[in-house]
Amino acid sequence: MTTQDFHNSSEETFSPQNVRLMKDYYQPSQPEPFHQDWQRGVPIAIDLGRSMLRVGMAGQTDPSCVFPSITSRYKDKKLRRSLNMVGYDVFLDSSLKSNLKTPFDGAMITNWDSIETILDYSFLHIGVDSQNKVDSPVLISEVVAPPFQQRFNLMQMLFETYNVPKLAFGVDSLFSFYQNGGHSGLVINGGHNSTMEIPVVRGSPVINVAKRIDWGGQQAVEYLNQFLTMKYPYFPSKVNNYQVENMIHDYCYVSTDYQKELKHYLDLDVLEKKDILLEAPFTEVIKPEKTEEELEQEEKKHKETIKKLQLQARERRLQNLIEKENDYQYYLGLQGKMKSMNKRLVLSTLREAGFDDLEDFTTYIQSLERSLKKARNQDVGENDETDNNKPPSWSLIEVPDEQLDEEQLKEKRKQKLMKANFEARQRANQEKEEAKREADEAARKDENWRNTNLKTWLAARRKTLEKLKKRRKDRIRMKEELSDRKSRASQMRMKNIASLAGDEVQGKNGHKRRAAKVTIDNDPNDTFGANDDDWAIYRDIAKGSDVETEKVEEKKIYNIEEELLKYDSSFTINDTLQRQYNWRNSILHRFLRGPRDFDPDEQHQQHQIHLNIERIRVPEIIFQPSIAGIDQCGLSELCEQTTLKRLTSEPVFSGDDSNEVLKDIFLTGGQSMFEGFEERLRREFQSFLPVGTEFHVRKARDPVNDAWRGMSKWAASEEGQKSFIDKKEYEEMGPDYIRENRMGCLRL
Amino acid sequence: MTFEHNDLAKLMDILETAEKFKNPDRKNSKRRYKSSRQVMNDENKRIQKKRDESEEPLPNLVTYHSLSAPPSFRPIKTYCDITGLATNYKSPNTRLRFYDKECYDLVKSLPPGVDQQYLALRNANVVLK
Repeated sequence: MTTQDFHNSSEETFSPQNVRLMKDYYQPSQPEPFHQDWQRGVPIAIDLGRSMLRVGMAGQTDPSCVFPSITSRYKDKKLRRSLNMVGYDVFLDSSLKSNLKTPFDGAMITNWDSIETILDYSFLHIGVDSQNKVDSPVLISEVVAPPFQQRFNLMQMLFETYNVPKLAFGVDSLFSFYQNGGHSGLVINGGHNSTMEIPVVRGSPVINVAKRIDWGGQQAVEYLNQFLTMKYPYFPSKVNNYQVENMIHDYCYVSTDYQKELKHYLDLDVLEKKDILLEAPFTEVIKPEKTEEELEQEEKKHKETIKKLQLQARERRLQNLIEKENDYQYYLGLQGKMKSMNKRLVLSTLREAGFDDLEDFTTYIQSLERSLKKARNQDVGENDETDNNKPPSWSLIEVPDEQLDEEQLKEKRKQKLMKANFEARQRANQEKEEAKREADEAARKDENWRNTNLKTWLAARRKTLEKLKKRRKDRIRMKEELSDRKSRASQMRMKNIASLAGDEVQGKNGHKRRAAKVTIDNDPNDTFGANDDDWAIYRDIAKGSDVETEKVEEKKIYNIEEELLKYDSSFTINDTLQRQYNWRNSILHRFLRGPRDFDPDEQHQQHQIHLNIERIRVPEIIFQPSIAGIDQCGLSELCEQTTLKRLTSEPVFSGDDSNEVLKDIFLTGGQSMFEGFEERLRREFQSFLPVGTEFHVRKARDPVNDAWRGMSKWAASEEGQKSFIDKKEYEEMGPDYIRENRMGCLRL
Repeated sequence: MTFEHNDLAKLMDILETAEKFKNPDRKNSKRRYKSSRQVMNDENKRIQKKRDESEEPLPNLVTYHSLSAPPSFRPIKTYCDITGLATNYKSPNTRLRFYDKECYDLVKSLPPGVDQQYLALRNANVVLK
């Protein structure tokens, strides 16, 4: 198999991957409708969730309104009016949208003005119509054991601002459990800011042993968003939290066996099934199509410019070459002359010419020779039409100056110049032909060698390849070392820089040249640069990668590899450097670009992201908070400790209750909606419970709205009715007074 | 019927009628903004005061803080910071975890500061105070 075949095999055609559009904000076309559900005296139930608020009348089966608990305050210049919007209405206008705020900081309410706006909005939308007061008892949800200030401010607001006659509090997850007919069980609530676990024994929560993991939907969104920014650092558009939220909601799932699934997630066949390709909305830039004529003209123009520039450059090179040749001739003459001089005279002649001694002079001549050879090999216009093979006649050159008039003298000078040009070109041509002949000869010899003695030829080739590879490796290591300030390579580099910048420049052959007196441009003794290796010092101190040498070197390696593939049967594709550029072998490619090749210039692909490991990684954090650096135990460990240790030591608890609790492990809250959550929890319980223990895991019928439904049902029930405190009690006993209930409301 | 920009003003008119069911004599309470951290600090002080004033000790007092889950006793599993694959390797310079040589090459070539951003994802970054 040759490299060519190798390329073809990787171009094996795949069906294109399914591209999904990134879902953005919910875009309402109309403002939130107003309802007329309110009845005087009937309790209002408000589930004040950290992401969504649900409000409606007790006894109803569904909330009247469900909207995100966000506000936006914005002064509209066009309407000359300050707008203060809530919920989905915020998304009606783009400037409102850009000003949106949440009244919460984590699980805490921090902006009470916003809460008041939200409550205004809620009461108005269910149709409250009483004067100077909201003439209905209010049941509102709170977090378990909130800081006193949180409840106090809510009480104060509802009693004093809204003149509510009665008020009660409760915990959303327990309402959900109540709604789903729970009696004894372990309630697990995957919330917006935290994951809460509350055991319930015979209808009463055992708050003493309830525990909270500080990880919820919001943290997951922030985590994934940050992770994606790191994964695609040059992503052209900003991915907002709503888009990430939708990704988590639509594509993340709980893995039933995380370690096992993770191990093979990036395998091509698995990735083919599990990789999700998402595209951010963007406006495609379409390049204007040009007519054929225009293109042709453009190309013509382009070519002309290039030709012009080439001619100029060639002319310049030729002049240079002539100058050099003249110099060379002059110094050669000098050298000849010096042979017949005595030492003293030689030295003084040399000094006059600007050299230190004979050695300096010879090095100079040698370097001149080299650069001359190089200059001859450059393109100096040997293929010009003006340049015929037979020399044109230069009639005036041989004639002495005295016999010529002014015009002719001018002409003579011109002819001299032309002659020099012609001769320089001739010599350059010879030099080039010589080089070509040598290369041909080498190639022929090489082929001959290969034909006569393949074994030694292969060995030599392999040796060169090894050498090249080693050099490449060394360079890469050097680059790495340079990134460390303390490494030897870095220190050597600093030393080089210091010596280059120093006043006294130490020349290669031991001369000290005073940099202040002679600059590099005018110093006749400065042969720096005449030898190509001199420049290596700059390459050494340049920290960045030398892309050009890298490319040349890589090309050399490829050439040899191709030859070896052709002639050496023991050399296979897997031995080549090319192999590393095959995306199928790259973990990072599969992680970043999924199971397809990537074209960085394609506009759609630039705006695409792949979700693969993230799909299970994000929900996994609730089982392993250490992934996100949270120093709390995971859900499974928490359940183990609660059911087997903490709960059994509670006084309200008897042995029989243990079975009852395990028989109803109840999941609720938005974060419990991940596919596979129940199955995973089942496995986790199986892993720590004694063999044969009966247990049952279930999910709320509606993990999101059942909390409100439970509130509605409970507020209308006899038990609920008795739990309200009225305004008179509040005024007499102060905000400390509260009636504890079975829905998690505690005296603080 | 589509919603126009001008309709926002009409909507605002309706929203402002909420004033009708609010107490006209309410004191204009100055509830100032309190950050989550302040709220928790105040709560801790309140609990401490409660404990000090109480005659008997209150071992089972339930507070927001006491409900926080304890640290784990199980060994922590480690994952590659770049890809998320399970791994045991750790870069000696940056403390970033990596899956294989290819990831390590990436870790080594990360621009300065990015390693800290990766570490911040698992709260392992160095925070200068």
